[in-house]
Amino acid sequence: MANFDALRASLEIAGSGLTTQSMRLRVISENIANAQSTATIAGGDPYTRQTISFESALDRASGANLVKVKQIGRDSAPFRTELDPGNPAADAKGFVKLPNVDMLTELADMREANRSYEANLQVAKQSNDLMSQTVGLLKDI
Amino acid sequence: MSEVYLFQLASQRTGYLSARQTLIAQNVANANTPGFKALDLKPFSATLRETEMSMSITDAAHLTPTAQQLDPPKSQESDAATASVSGNSVNVESEMVHLGEVSRDFAEATNIKKIFHQMMMQALK
Repeated sequence: MANFDALRASLEIAGSGLTTQSMRLRVISENIANAQSTATIAGGDPYTRQTISFESALDRASGANLVKVKQIGRDSAPFRTELDPGNPAADAKGFVKLPNVDMLTELADMREANRSYEANLQVAKQSNDLMSQTVGLLKDI
Repeated sequence: MSEVYLFQLASQRTGYLSARQTLIAQNVANANTPGFKALDLKPFSATLRETEMSMSITDAAHLTPTAQQLDPPKSQESDAATASVSGNSVNVESEMVHLGEVSRDFAEATNIKKIFHQMMMQALK
């Protein structure tokens, strides 16, 4: 049943793609949700934007190249500052550091994660279809 | 119906298509992995052409031929290798096109198997 093993492997691969893309969406939603989160102490650093990167990982059992999250890092871009002396997070001069989250980048990233998720879903659907077509050969015997 | 290896051929075709489906899944899953190179199989006809046919045994003194089988499909980097800045050469659109091809060809191969089976059953009944 080498056919089925290959198809099952492709299901597993598509599944790993779905998992990593949903992880990416999670990171994006954390970034967007915290786009205005300032520090809790005066003059402290606000929320730092998170980044996610992927790597290809060989699954020895099926010999397939799965994908997994390599690391969730922190963006080293500088924080935005705003003059707001009344804010509890403002430093001695009255400046508040705001997170280095750019909404436009996050939204573009979200779109891409969405598309990748859909593509993986399409592959999983089709692998399922092919398997049921093969099993369907036994139907009218 | 003797000496017709159509079932075997159809099975090899579905085996080839399953292997290709796995590669497409790999490419799509790794569409955002830096440095990942997209893989694809050689066309089925090329694989078939390169496979050597073995002789049949007509005398006891003949050497036993090795099992007549297609070489297992080998993957190679797909031709549409336009790598992005991150060194990734996966093109999701063309993978979707390949997905459609696999679906069509697989349906063809399974239908051929079904029809052969019907033909054999007609001869038997």
